[in-house]
Order: sequence, then C-alpha cells, then structure tokens
Amino acid sequence: MRSSDTERTAESPRLRFDRGTLLLDGPDGTPVRDLFGPDLWTWDGRVGAWRCDAMRYAAVRRVLKECPGRAWRNDVPEPPPVHWPAVNLPDLRPEQREALAGWRAADRRGQVIMPTGTGKTEVALAAMAETGAATLVVAPIRDLMYQWHRRILKGLGYDAGIVGDTLYNLQPVTVTTYDSAYIHMDRIGARFGLIVFDEEHHLPGQCRREAALMCTAPMRLGLTATPERSDGRHVDLEHLVGPVAYDMPLARARGRTLAEYDVVRVPVALTPQEQATYDACSRQIRHFIAERRRDRPGYSWKDLCAESGADPVARRAQKAYYLKKSIEDRAAEKLRVLEDLFRLHAGQRTIVFAGSNAMAMEVSRRFLVPTILSHTPKRERLAVLDGFAEGRLPVLVANRVLDEGVDVPEAKVAVVIGGQASTRQAKQRLGRILRRTGAARAVLYEVVCEDTKDVHRSRSRRRSDAYARTRHRRL
Amino acid sequence: MLTREHAIVDYRDGRAFPDCLDRRRHAHYLGYAERMLAIYAGGIGRERRALHRDVETLFAEEPDCPLRRIRAFAKLLDDASTYTSDPKGEASRLRLRVFEAAARYHPLVREKDRLFEHPEGETKAAIARDLGEAWDDIDARLYADVLSFQRLESFEGYAGPEALLSRYNVAQLQACLYGAERMTVRATRDVKTILRYAKLARLLHEVRRVGPGEYLIEFTGPASVLRQTRRYGVNLARFVPALLACRGWTMTAVLRTPWKTRAVLEVSDRDRYTSALPPPQEFDSSVEETFAAKFGPEERDGWRLERETEVLADGQTAFVPDFVFRHADGATVLFEIVGFWTPEYLAKKRETLRRFRGHTVLLAVPERSLRDGAEPGEHVVVYKTAIQLGPVMEALETVRRRAGQTGDG
Repeated sequence: MRSSDTERTAESPRLRFDRGTLLLDGPDGTPVRDLFGPDLWTWDGRVGAWRCDAMRYAAVRRVLKECPGRAWRNDVPEPPPVHWPAVNLPDLRPEQREALAGWRAADRRGQVIMPTGTGKTEVALAAMAETGAATLVVAPIRDLMYQWHRRILKGLGYDAGIVGDTLYNLQPVTVTTYDSAYIHMDRIGARFGLIVFDEEHHLPGQCRREAALMCTAPMRLGLTATPERSDGRHVDLEHLVGPVAYDMPLARARGRTLAEYDVVRVPVALTPQEQATYDACSRQIRHFIAERRRDRPGYSWKDLCAESGADPVARRAQKAYYLKKSIEDRAAEKLRVLEDLFRLHAGQRTIVFAGSNAMAMEVSRRFLVPTILSHTPKRERLAVLDGFAEGRLPVLVANRVLDEGVDVPEAKVAVVIGGQASTRQAKQRLGRILRRTGAARAVLYEVVCEDTKDVHRSRSRRRSDAYARTRHRRL
Repeated sequence: MLTREHAIVDYRDGRAFPDCLDRRRHAHYLGYAERMLAIYAGGIGRERRALHRDVETLFAEEPDCPLRRIRAFAKLLDDASTYTSDPKGEASRLRLRVFEAAARYHPLVREKDRLFEHPEGETKAAIARDLGEAWDDIDARLYADVLSFQRLESFEGYAGPEALLSRYNVAQLQACLYGAERMTVRATRDVKTILRYAKLARLLHEVRRVGPGEYLIEFTGPASVLRQTRRYGVNLARFVPALLACRGWTMTAVLRTPWKTRAVLEVSDRDRYTSALPPPQEFDSSVEETFAAKFGPEERDGWRLERETEVLADGQTAFVPDFVFRHADGATVLFEIVGFWTPEYLAKKRETLRRFRGHTVLLAVPERSLRDGAEPGEHVVVYKTAIQLGPVMEALETVRRRAGQTGDG
C-alpha cells in the first residue's frame, strides 16, 4: 500500500451505495450539515458514517459538484450510457410531444398523467431513446413487465433484462415488477440513470415506495392515467418521482382512441347436476347463517371466516361458498355457448377472458386454443401473441388481466366467461382491443350463469329479510 | 419458509402471539402429522393439487384448525419435496405445436354439421396421430408445467411427526417476524454465535453491555436509521433458527400489525422452540477445549478463566475473545487462540486487535504459522500441538507487572 493513497483515503470523504442507502464517511469534523443542509443526512452511529436514502443521490451529487477544493471520493457506480441497437419509434402525437417536453423542463424528474389509450408507453420509450440512459422500468404485474420487454425490443431494438417472475437477468436496461423491485432494489439500486414507474399510483404503498427510495437514478418518470389513491398517499409521488410534468386534459382523449362496441349478455343455465350441488350449497350456507343469527343478529361473512378455524361447521359453509363460486365459474354450459360463439365468429379473431386459471385451461384443452396466463413462459407468450396478431392462431384465452392496461392484439370479438359481470373499467379497457373494421361493429359477449342471477334477484326482492344483504358483503 | 399468506398471528393488548402447537392442547396433532407424512411418502407420482386436497381432507372434522394452518402444513411438506420440473419447457413447446396444428380445424365442435366438420374427438385423435402419441398422453402433459399439476418426484420428509410440528412452530414464528421493524436480543451466552449468524443474515447490530457478561444487541438493517421499515423482517426471520439454537437469551421484536399499529413479540430460549440447527459447539477447536480442561475451573495464581464472556464492539466489528482471564485484583486479560490460519485470517485478526488496542489481548499462535526466524513479539504465546500452562501464566504475570508499573509511575 502506498502511503500517499492511504493519506488521501483517510482525509477525503467517501460516498458510496450501501444496500439501498448512501453512506458518507470521512474524517471527523467534515461539515456535512453545513454543506448539504441540516436534513439530508442522518448520523448512523452503528457504522460511524452519515446515511441517507439512495433517492437523494441527485441532490448529493449536485452539492459535491459545487463544492470546490475538496477531494471527494465518489464510489457510487456511474451507470454506463446505453446504445440503442435499432430505434424504430413512431412519430409522437402533439400531446405526447408536449408530455416529453414537460418532463424535460422538469429536469427529467416528474410525472406524466395521460388518459388510458393515449400512448404513455411511447412517451417513455422516446425519453429512453433521447437520454440513452441505463433504465429500469417498473410495472405493476408480470404481464405488463413482459409487455414492456416487447415494446423496448420493438421500439429500441434492445433485448432488456428481466427481474421478476422467478427470473433474474439484470441488464443495463431491465424491466421488473413493483414487488420484485422492492425485494431487489437494495442490490440493483445504483445501476440506473433513469427509472420509469408505469401505473405509478401503485408506488406510494407502504412497501412498494421503497423501490423509489432505494434507487439512485437521478432521472425519474412516472406514468399514470389515475394518480389518485383512496388512502391519499398519491401526494407522496411528488417526493418519490417528481412534480407533475404534464397532465393531459381528458377532453383531448375523448372519442379518439376508445372504440365503440356492442355488449351482448348470454345467459347460461347450470346442468341439473350442477344446479343440484349449487342449491345444496346455497341451502347449507343459508341454514348455517340463519342458525347463527338466532343468537347473534349481526352475524356476517367476516364472522364466518373468523370462526372457520375453530369450527368445522363454519369451515364447511365456507367451502360450500367456494364451491358455488367454482360452479359459477366453470359451468359446463359455458363451454357449449363458447362453441356456438366460435361457430358464429369463425374466421374472426376472438379473445376469451376466463374468471380463473382453471377455467382458462379447461377452455384451452377443450378447443385446443392457446392461453396467456401469469405462468406462461416468456417465449411462449411472444409466440402466442405474434401468432394471434398474424392470424395463425384464431383464438386467445386469458384470465382477468384486463384491469390494468395489458396490451392484447386487436380483435373483433371478445367473450367474458368469468363469474361476475365485467366492470366499467374493464369495459373501457376492452375498448382498446375491440376495433371497428369496416361497417361491422365489434362485439363483447358476457356469458353469465342464469340461475345464480335468479337467486340473486329473488334475494333482492326479499330485502327486508335479515339474510338479504349477506351476498353483497361477501362479494 | 412460509409466506405472509400462511402467517397466523394473534394480536392482543399490544402483543403478538404466533400460532404455536402445544404439546398438550394439540397432542392429537401428532396423529395428523404422521398421516400427512404418509400422504407425501406414499404420494410419489401424484399431482401437487391431489396431495394438497388429501391434506385438507384430513382436517375436515378437526374442530381446531384454520385453513391457513392446513395450507402452511402443505407448504412445509412441499418444501421437503421435489416435484417434476420442466426446465427445458417441453410442456410449453408441446402446447405451441398442438395449438398451431389445431388452428386450421378451429372450432372443434361436438358434432359436425355442414359448415363445421371437425369434431373434437376425431380431430384430437388425428393431431395425436401426427405427433405419434396417444391423445390422452398429450392431454396429460399439455399443462404439466403448471404448479398444481406438477407431480411429486421424491419426498425428503421430516425426521418424524414431532419434527414436522416443531418445524411448523418455528415457521410460524418466522412468518410473524416478516412484519418486524427491529429486534432486540438480551444474551448471556453464545453471543459470538448470535452475532455471527446475524451477520450472515445481513443484519446490522448495536451491542451494549448491560451487566457482567450480559449484552443487549439490537438488530436492524441499513435504512432503519432513516425510517421505520419492515423490509428487514425477512432477514430477521432467516436469523431466528440460529438464535433458537443458542442458549441464554430473550428476544423482543417490534412488529407492524395489519391494522398499522405496533405489537411486541417476545420469545426466549425457555419457550420450547426446537431449531433444526445444532446448538453451537462449546469449543471451536480441540486446542481450546484441551486448554480449558488443563486450566480447570479453579483459581490459579489469582487468575480465573472465563469462556466467551467479553464482547468488544466497535461499529459493525465485534470481537469475542475465546477466553477472559480475570485476576482477583481486577486485572483483565483477553485470550485469543489462533488455531487454523491463513495469511488473510492473520491480517484480519491483526486489524481487529488494532481496533481494540485499549484492551490487553494475549494471543496463542501455533508454531507452524511462524515464518523461520520470525519474532513472535509481545503478548504472544507460541504452541506446538497444545497450549502449555507455564508460558501462559508467565505472560499473564508480565502483563500484570507492567500494568502495575504504569500504575505506580
């Protein structure tokens, strides 16, 4: 060891990344609070150094740069610039250009709020293209993570790494989920210049926010259509991501991107056998609850769940309820209706949305059509989506991944065979899939069990009945 | 390990009680455990979901068993199992082949008519013929990679029904700790092992001496100094089996409850948790053991020998010398035996000793580790195969004499 080295090491403060935080250690008497302000660093007596969240790296670096005459040692790795192999992005629409300009003006640290279907992903890809920064994209679910992988490959020609879904392939540009980001950020937090939070309203959760706190990336981009959270935590996004850089007026989106389509409700009956089991389960639950309510008038589904641990009768009622749901979900008649719909729309691309993985696989095995489920491997997912888009595969079965904008290739026909009616939000998302071509309108079929609805209706009629509202509570 | 979804915790009066099967109240669980092990041991070749269903059925009439407990048992049994995996993605490839082959027959109908002439059964048989297999075989393998359809290949199992129940209790304790923000251990023995395992679990510690041979150790993670966070709960949970194997400790953890309040979990070595790890070795090497036996429990020339009772801590470096010599007049000398060695090991030891130079450390070094002609230096006792008492007592006296001199002068 050369003595000059030792001296310099001993004298100059050293900055480094330590498992999701920054550590600053140096000789005693370094005027840390004078230089950085009183709030940035916290003294950590356990290791004898100053510590702060990795997120503060941009601020720390700014001070270090403006601080002349001091030999700082910065051991936080500098993410290498990324060269995009083949940029092939569409021209941005005016509002997308405005969004990008707004983000740039906010020092590349801010939120872009645009309604569903107005091309948030393209804004992010353009930001990646122009900054050439090592980028981490964080998405809410696996399907969206894979979708980002695809879009980056298509738009920038870059085969991004994937961290999540049991994969750990870290690259200068990587896609991940909020859950995986939370787990791995203490290791990978110092490797990126830009971090993109897709559907950023997921970020401010108690745990997930740590993905933002533990990352050094100075450039941050949050994307969402609906930043508000019922718990009010969305105000933290300004701190975690940056200020709102662009907020697109809703009026500009209206009538342009969302297609109109018809909704057809197809009732199906349970088979006699299914109906018998279903009714028996209903009776069992009804009987059980009526019994309990004799002593405890307010007895609810929640009480039932709580009791199921210590009471086999309650547990059986709980199981009966799950069996009912499963019968609704997987009624045999649904497969027959599906066959009729396939006949009716032969030659048209059709997407089937199942209510569970089990039902999706049942449809798949009956009709020999591919599924996209959460556990579908990446390669198969790509092959299926491509085959469907090119028309080689006529049908695609997915489970309910609709609620957050997963891009599915356009289709003429969609069939929802889940147990419950689709939500308005899902219908809006479906508007992106179902496109009008020529004169024919797109159609959405909702296949629902008739008798279970009847049960529901008859219960509603007896609203005065003490039991009438339990179903609402349960759902 | 279990996941958060398996955790059963009772929160009462600001305290947390993880689910724990009691030897008396749950004596009949031994029977369940035995039958569960039998289901898995006899279940080679069966699908995961069938095994889980059987386990669930076992408890159908049990008045005291929440669903989470059943699921937790299934998870622990799965943890000791190997299921068929599909690393080359054969099921995925098979699916693509079958679906692409079937595309041109779409839709497969129940009965053919003039428009649609591809009935389900015949078409599937035809596709199977093209692939050179029976359809039933293809159908069975089509989704074989899906978790619940995987088949049990082998079952490593547990040492017995009691071992499974012990494992369950420890696993629930661990799952309870996933929500922990910090943990404090008050230890009188095995401090060295506790600190070593905490370091392996990537935890930071703060050590405080609260009495003779009694230490308070707080375990947290890097960001804990900035904010309350549960992110180190998993590290704390991972550390717990090692702690359970130790003796002489009480542990207190602060947890965040699902209602965003805080609760305290208290466990000690007297709670009957059985760790899967063996208790720490009393002695790391036979050299130590021989020396301790040779010295004996009695006082010698005013010196008494204590084992691992002193912890020196400076930041994240803790030094627990093998022995402490205490003289009747209050003098204390730490004694560290270097058994096996490498240049790096010696360098690290030297660095540690430099950190704690305010203390007197006597070092025993094997002769073979000295280079030819090297001077052992001060406070070093050289030994061949066993440490002799004579040179050690001599060195101790030298230390005491010198301390006395500086004290006089």
